[in-house]
Amino acid sequence: MANPNLEMLHGMLYGKGLRFGQPSGLARVIAAMTGDHADVVPFQGPQIHDHAMTVAKVPARKYYWDADLLVDVHLAVCRWYTFDSVTVIADAYNLEVEALGAKMIYSDYAMPTVDVSDPLIKSPSDLEKIGPLDPSKGRIPYGIHAGQLCIQKAPGPFAGGFFCSPWSLICQAMGYPKAVRALKRDRAFAQALFDWAENQAIWPYMAALRKAGVKNANGADAWAAFPELTPELVIEWVVPSAQRLRERGKKELGMTISAGTAAGDYCEEDVTKFNKEVMFKCWDAAAMTFPLKIAFSGMGRTQEWDMRWLQEYAIKKGEGKKLPIMASMNGRFMRDSTPEQIVAKVQEYIDIMGRDGRLLLWIGNVPADTPPINVHTAVKATRVLGKYPIAKDLTKIIVEPPQFKPFDEWLKDQPEADIIFKAREK
Amino acid sequence: MSDEKYQAISKAVTEGEDIQTGELVKAALDASLPPLEILQKGVVDGITKAGELWKANQYFLPDVILSADAFKVGMEVLDPELKNTQTGPSRGKYIIGVVEGDMHDLGKSLVVALLTSAGFEVVDLGIDVPMDKFVEAVKTHQPTIVGLGAYMTTTMLIMKDIIKELSNQGLRNNVKVMVGGVPTSQEFSDEVGADAWGRDALDAMQKALTLVGG
Repeated sequence: MANPNLEMLHGMLYGKGLRFGQPSGLARVIAAMTGDHADVVPFQGPQIHDHAMTVAKVPARKYYWDADLLVDVHLAVCRWYTFDSVTVIADAYNLEVEALGAKMIYSDYAMPTVDVSDPLIKSPSDLEKIGPLDPSKGRIPYGIHAGQLCIQKAPGPFAGGFFCSPWSLICQAMGYPKAVRALKRDRAFAQALFDWAENQAIWPYMAALRKAGVKNANGADAWAAFPELTPELVIEWVVPSAQRLRERGKKELGMTISAGTAAGDYCEEDVTKFNKEVMFKCWDAAAMTFPLKIAFSGMGRTQEWDMRWLQEYAIKKGEGKKLPIMASMNGRFMRDSTPEQIVAKVQEYIDIMGRDGRLLLWIGNVPADTPPINVHTAVKATRVLGKYPIAKDLTKIIVEPPQFKPFDEWLKDQPEADIIFKAREK
Repeated sequence: MSDEKYQAISKAVTEGEDIQTGELVKAALDASLPPLEILQKGVVDGITKAGELWKANQYFLPDVILSADAFKVGMEVLDPELKNTQTGPSRGKYIIGVVEGDMHDLGKSLVVALLTSAGFEVVDLGIDVPMDKFVEAVKTHQPTIVGLGAYMTTTMLIMKDIIKELSNQGLRNNVKVMVGGVPTSQEFSDEVGADAWGRDALDAMQKALTLVGG
């Protein structure tokens, strides 16, 4: 197995201009994050759990319960796509509320989902009744084991566990409308909710993760994206909560707890409402929850964005050196587009944001039914068009269709073959 | 006088004052104001204004949620009276539900409210609705439109099966199908053979009106 520390060092040196050897995927990511650029624009492993499950043709009832299967499917599918990094995540929004007794809906083909028609928290008095999370309950042990496996099988600075951030957890426990009503109309209740989420629900899970040897945990927070929350509400509620968890994790567990991931992500769907000022405010709020200063696009309708705004933001906020940009290809765009449209979009991104380096591409949550050729095409186009130094006229560079074996044929020779093929058996 | 009452209701809805909305609607009914006028000039006017503020980037989702809550309260008070009132010809029957495995109903609730205000007779099948239930409902109610909602990229795939089953059972030619929900798109709508895609609640209502020629 490669040594992630050496890969990171290689990436740092490469990014600073000491360009020797062939950077690994991790080295490419580190070079783009900390220096100028690697050999090519890195293509990061996206949130891909539903799509990976579909590609691997494994049933949801096994995939979302068996951490070994979950992690191996992610590793295999991400390697098949030749991403430069791996993101392993399950239905990260459900584990805590499920363990605390929330009613869930399970199915053979979809990830578990909370039954919001019968929420865990119906009134303030319910907070008293829901005891602290027992990390042996529900699928918390699955989450813990997944975190351990990530460290073992995909080590690196980003490897670790996942959890549901406080605000999203509150939404899962009581439904978004009631939760947002509390923020807007009942501050005392809202504060009690955050206190409950941080200390009664998340903290016992974090302590169990740490006990199992997991030192990093990343908390998803899609319910804190815009327009579900305004940047002002993110700054008022989500950022302080993330800071509390971070500080407590560091002090009491020696652990990095990163809550609020995706808070402030600009996800406005209506193109006519795109607004540069609001976007900048969102990115400012998002940056407050990241451990590194970056400019970020996530699940938004980025195929319609003017990407010059993101580039402008990265330069403006970089104070002399452009912030690294993590630029996403929209998941639905990836599913619905032709390979030619995808190549054109990659070309546009690199032309606008990649010439001066510090650009990383990824996909904002790959939908289950995305044609694999589209994902392969995005990666191939990035490798061809994103080669440094970037060509003056990218339109003159032809991106040939990607060549790849069908997943099952490719899988036969991979270490994950047994577990995936076996999982398909009834 | 009545205009003032309507304006007060509208303002309460726009500002998301749910308790006040309920009280004002009740007071308007007690004052014998026509329920349909209370609906159109008060409750619907208020949610429409919230929608306009939303489109103008002056309202954000948390604000709209509060307005929608107030709208819902107003409708709950009004609904029994509306059912007793001759409101003119219906736009037709609209069956709506969130597909099996999916429990997210915020968007659907807004669509139901707007369709109702637009004159559709809405049959809400609720959430986590199995394919058979959609098919049976189409047979039983013979709607003009059936609306399928989904929030997840996995569950949305069932929409294609539902539309196919409607065809298999010889029902498809007599009913328009609309799809909607966060992960859906126009391309997806075309792919699964739907007649229209609702980008959001307002768009869904407008497309439904277009489908019935309204």
